[in-house]
Amino acid sequence: MLRKLRISGILLILGLVVEALSLCWNTTLSFMSFVVVGGLLFGAGILLFLYSLLSPSTSPSNS
Amino acid sequence: MIGPQSLAFLLIGASILLILVVVIRPSITASREGKIVAFLALFIVPVIAAGVGASEHMERSEETKFCLSCHIMEPYGRSLYVDDASYIPAAHFQNHRIPPEKACYTCHTDYAMFGTVHAKLEGLHHVYVYWFGTPMRPIHLYQPYNNRECLHCHSGARSFEESPTHTAMMGDLRSNKLSCASSGCHDTFHNVDKLDHVKSWKPAE
Repeated sequence: MLRKLRISGILLILGLVVEALSLCWNTTLSFMSFVVVGGLLFGAGILLFLYSLLSPSTSPSNS
Repeated sequence: MIGPQSLAFLLIGASILLILVVVIRPSITASREGKIVAFLALFIVPVIAAGVGASEHMERSEETKFCLSCHIMEPYGRSLYVDDASYIPAAHFQNHRIPPEKACYTCHTDYAMFGTVHAKLEGLHHVYVYWFGTPMRPIHLYQPYNNRECLHCHSGARSFEESPTHTAMMGDLRSNKLSCASSGCHDTFHNVDKLDHVKSWKPAE
């Protein structure tokens, strides 16, 4: 579970960094990077986190 | 007061810091409090931050410079500077009859129920086609221009209501039976294929 949490966190950070960078410009390219790149990384991070909540091994020792 | 862009940056920064706590020390999730922190860090705060960012992007997509950032729209941007009052978009843009920073959106949104949503969905479609598809050439409106968009501002305006020409055909204009863009009326729009043959207006610095 802890490994999933870490990967989820890293994906979320990458997604948020892309989203923050895309906010520095107002062009269709920045909009697309927000939606496609940022959205994919962010969505993957959120989904992995939610999936980790469902995984049976919740104890840190089982990581 | 803090602007929406600063708020988005602030939330994204706070979110990244919280996530880093969980990434560096995932063992905190062993306790109940740690699980709450992880839920906030990896779900609630990032979702709010991304939501504020998305909202800001949607808001900024109404700006003229956003529309003109597509190469295909460049001549339409140039047409706003034509030095000829018969060019309807140019006359509206240059005289600030529409907000110049939202020129495209003001005339090309739908002033109907869910019109903003409809306009934004169409805009998303345009962006998608521009980057991943084949844009139509020359680009054109999906449907004939609706008088409703003109009347949204002109209806009730003295110069419009008191014009004998408009008064005589008001019913047909309001019911969209007769287009404002009819031949002989207001029929000169962007005309991008003739831009090289017309004079341009240069705004004062």
